[in-house]
This record gives sequence, structure tokens and C-alpha cells, in this order.
Amino acid sequence: MKIMNCPLNGPRNISEFVCGGEVTVEPDPNRCSNEEWADYVFLHDNDAGVVCEWWCHAPTAFWFIAERNTLTDEILRTFASSELFSERQDYSRPEQEAGQ
Amino acid sequence: MSDAVQTATSALRRSFHYRDLEAAGARFQPVADAAVAWVYGDDAGNEQTRARTLGIADLSPLPRTGFKGRDIGPWLAKQSVTVGEASNRAYPCGKGSLAAKLAPTEVLLLGALDGSDPLPGALNDAWTDDAGLCFPVPRRDASFWFTITGKMASSMFAKICGVDLREKSFDNHAIAQTSVARSNTIIIRDDLGAVPAFHMLGDSASAGYMWMCLNDAMDEFDGGPVGLEAILALRK
Repeated sequence: MKIMNCPLNGPRNISEFVCGGEVTVEPDPNRCSNEEWADYVFLHDNDAGVVCEWWCHAPTAFWFIAERNTLTDEILRTFASSELFSERQDYSRPEQEAGQ
Repeated sequence: MSDAVQTATSALRRSFHYRDLEAAGARFQPVADAAVAWVYGDDAGNEQTRARTLGIADLSPLPRTGFKGRDIGPWLAKQSVTVGEASNRAYPCGKGSLAAKLAPTEVLLLGALDGSDPLPGALNDAWTDDAGLCFPVPRRDASFWFTITGKMASSMFAKICGVDLREKSFDNHAIAQTSVARSNTIIIRDDLGAVPAFHMLGDSASAGYMWMCLNDAMDEFDGGPVGLEAILALRK
């Protein structure tokens, strides 16, 4: 059984984890084009090599980030998402922000 | 304990899969506001012996609660409940309760095994929607609660769980949130006297499935159901 190290729970069987896809920079939904948003939502880079991916430890619903080599399927590092994301994303529309 | 009740349905609160317990020969006793499987046979001494080797008790009707959110630390402190810094550790609190810190932002509170500690109910009553980012998790309705006891417990778990629960690697009050028999569960080690004991919580809808899986895994070690009476006797 392949083992993955969860930053919260420690080493667990890989069957306890679900991959959530590549970690990408989200474009500003209020200012980006439809093409940019569609690219963000639907398209994947699918790089060969070391990538950053979202993973979820299903028993705890704990989301974290893993560096994985897609050529060798080797997991190089796992870490809490707070290393990359420190603020909660706000999805309010610009006119709501202005109190309209 | 107060007067015995003959059936699980004579109390408003009962186990999620009480029919399985009845089929196994359980007799029920009122504890707190619920009917709990008290004994499974006529020989209480035999049941205590089983609990020391490998026994499983269904404590699902007993009081427990949970809270989740970024402000949980200050809110619990305000209620005079203190938990340590480390996650995946359990901390005794109240009068026999156990606060299990599942994450920096989540605590599960198991009430006293004899149902006597008012802390779970008091916390539920104390919570209001001005508690900030701290929200109740209705563990008493959402999660089953089994307690597995005995010196063979970790060997039994090795058949259905990928985490090493032996004493040398999983000390008292350690917590594992993992998959058991392909179902997500929380395992909390909480020894009763000198007897290894593990509280196990999971989705209440899977209570019957997990009861069956555990009893099947315990057969190899001559383990089986024990009542709350035998569990309480281990503490002495």
C-alpha cells in the first residue's frame, strides 16, 4: 500500500486520500474574460514532472497541498494550504461591495 | 442506576441499531436520558472477563457533543473547558468527560461513561449564535459511539485498520482519524484502569454495518458484545 503523509494526521494509506487537482492561481472572477475563467475551471495543465496538487484526507475532510512528480508518482512533500493561502477568498460582486 | 427497562424502545433516546443489540441478547438500563445496553447475559463476571480480553460496547445513546470553527479555543475557555495545543490528542475535562481535539479548529466532547457529567449538555445550552466562528456539531445524533476494550483490541484492529494502534506507537489519549473497514472513523485511546480501551466514532448511518464488521473481526479472538456494566467495572 502506498503511504501519504497528511500534515494533520500523519502517514496514512493512499486509499484515504482524494486528489483535488492542480493548484493554480485563480483569476479575478469580476475582471477576467470568459476564456480565462473557463481555462481556470475546466482545463488542466497536466504537466509532466513536479507539480503542486490539492489533496484531501477523506476521514477528516482536511485539504492540503502535495508536491508530486507525475512521471514517477513520487510524493515529494505535503504541507498545509496555509503556507500558500492566508486569506479567505471573497466572492462578493463589486456592486455589492459598493452597497448597491 | 435507576429502575431497569426491558426494551430499548422504552426510552426516547436509544442506539441507532438497537435491534442488533436486542438480537444479541442485550438488556437495557436507563442512563442519563437514554436506554443503554447494560448486560448481554446473566453472568456479569463472564462479561467482565470478556471485556478484559476483547469486548465491544455500544455507548451511542450516551451524551456527547462537538464544536468547530476558528474561534473554538476562546469560546471553550470561556466555558472553563481547557484543551492542549496538540491536535489528535484527547484531554480529560469536567467530571469524567473527554475533550478530543480533532484539529486546531475542532473539538469532540465525550461525556462521562456513566452519563453523569452534565458538561456536554451545559455546553450545548451555553452556545448561542454570537459565539463567533464556533459552531455546534451534533455528535450525539450524527455519530455512533462504540468502545472496544481488551488486550486483543489492537490485534483485532490490525485486521481492518491501517494505523498501528499498539501501545508502543499509539499511547493513551492518542487519536487516529482514519478508515476502518473502509468507513471513516475517529479512534480515541482511553484506557480503563489497566485495560486498553478505544472509543470509536463514525457516521451514525453506518452503525449497523460497523457493528457487524467489528463483531466479525472479533470472532477470531473470542471477542463479542459487552454491556456498559462491564465497561464501568473496568475503571475500578
